This record gives sequence, C-alpha cells and structure tokens, in this order.
Amino acid sequence: MCHQTVSLAARHLEANGISTVIVGCAKDIVEFCGVPRFLFSDFPLGNSAGRPFDVESQRQTLELALQVLERAPGGRTTVQSPLRWSEDASWKRDYLDLTKLSPDKIAERKKEFDEVKSIARAKREAS
Amino acid sequence: MTTTAPAVNPPFAADYDAPIPYIQRTRDYYQVLGFNPYRWAHFADVPFTPLGTPLGEARVALITTAAPFQPGVGDQGPGAAYNAAAKFYQVYSLSTETIPDLRISHVGYDRLHTTAADINTYLPLAQLKTAAAAGRIGSLGPRLHGLPTNRSHRVTMETDVPELLRRCHEDGVGAAVLVPS
Repeated sequence: MCHQTVSLAARHLEANGISTVIVGCAKDIVEFCGVPRFLFSDFPLGNSAGRPFDVESQRQTLELALQVLERAPGGRTTVQSPLRWSEDASWKRDYLDLTKLSPDKIAERKKEFDEVKSIARAKREAS
Repeated sequence: MTTTAPAVNPPFAADYDAPIPYIQRTRDYYQVLGFNPYRWAHFADVPFTPLGTPLGEARVALITTAAPFQPGVGDQGPGAAYNAAAKFYQVYSLSTETIPDLRISHVGYDRLHTTAADINTYLPLAQLKTAAAAGRIGSLGPRLHGLPTNRSHRVTMETDVPELLRRCHEDGVGAAVLVPS
C-alpha cells in the first residue's frame, strides 16, 4: 500500500511542477500506477533506501535516485539498482507464499486480518 | 601468437530471481482468505516535470510513509508484528534538523527477511543531509512530510496528496524524493 500511496503522490506533485523520484522495492505496484521516475531496489519490502547497517549501500541508493531525478528523459523511467540483497534469491519466493498455508493457518490469518481491520477502522475514525 | 579463450556464457538465473509480483501475490492471497480483490491504482498517462534547476541548486523534499513513534500503542520496534494501532491518518511534517523517531510497524514490510532495525533503510534523511552538505543537492527542505497509507484511493488523492502539495509549496521545494516503507 505504501508504494501505491507514494506513486499517487508523485503523480500529483509532478502535475503541479515538482519533479519527483520514488525510491522503492515493489516494482509492479509503482509501474502499474505509472510514475515519472523510479529507482527500484530488488530488496525485501522495508529496505527502499538500502541495506540495514550498510552505509555504503544507502549512499549508493540515494546517489542513483538523484541521478534518475536529474537525467530521466521522460515519464515511466525506471532504473534498477545493481545491488543484490543476497546471492541466494530464494527469499523472493516467501512473500505471501500460499503453498505454506494449511487450512487452519488460513482461518487464523483471516481472523487476524479482521482484527487488524477493526483496529485500523477505530483509529481512523478517532483521527 | 596469442589466443583468446572463448567467452563462457554465464548460466541463467533461477526463474524466481525476478522482481516479486506483489499485485498477483496479494490478489491470490486475499482470494484464498475469502476477500474481494483490491483494485490497484492504474493510469495510462504519466505527468512529467523536468527538473527546473540544476540539482546542486534545487531544494529537495523528503516524503515518507513511516509513522512517528506513538507511546502506549504496542510494540513498534524492530521485527514487531503488524501494528494497526500505530497507523496515522493525517499528513504530518517534522523538522529535518534532527533525525526523528519514525517506525514502520504499521505497514506490511517483509518481516521474514528484514527487521526494520535501521531507520536508514526506510528514511534516507542522513544521506540527504550528507548530499546537501556536499552540494550534491542545493538544500534539503526544512521539513520532511509523512503520508498516510490508506487503502482508499479517494482519500489519498482527494485529501492527503493535495495537503502534501500545499506543504511542499510552503517549503519552496522544486523536487521530492518519495520513500515507501
């Protein structure tokens, strides 16, 4: 949801004269929305700005984003960072992996989701 | 006479070694849980504004979806379970003079493979300050802006994003770096 939110924001800022670059990890969500400039890091969600406790990867990520901001020739420019999260890419198979969910686990997740929605609704209405 | 060894083609990468298809995975997941599919925002046209000044002269805003730490609403620390009580529903702004205490327990980051223990992985404020000090950007906006992550496109587009634009205009920024959590 975060990637969609910033995509909508980038579009609105851009349409009103502010140049933008999104720095993120969910390629399909950002590109499906359609944004001016996007630096994509193929990292687990939560690491848009670089690897944990790796200042050099954080520096490289911002520098690439600034280059995209400066040099993109037009809208829908995506540049993929050359950095890899790890040599073994098997982490990409785990996100919402349905093959690991038993019927009991599915019922548990559904209950959790309903509870979370109810907390979020109460919070939203109170704000 | 010298000879050159024939180039060796590297093996193909694994099929799954490609960007994760989040839209498809969430669609499949919530269908199995019995929920209607979510309609993701999708546009045919994309606005584009070339940078109006050299980046070394531009004032740049930082925009985040991270949430200010809220005492009393449960665990928001590294590796915390998804915490809906830590969500926020209005645009906020904080000074960029210091590094604020922002967390991401309120969103669905990849808790299996990362823990959000280092704020610099989702808030590149320290790096932007370094870039400003080095003259790589003209300056950093005086405030960073926090944007609520709302499932409602309408609320995002009609309420939150216009408010964000208003604040960016107040700060006089010509460019923005947007970082989802």
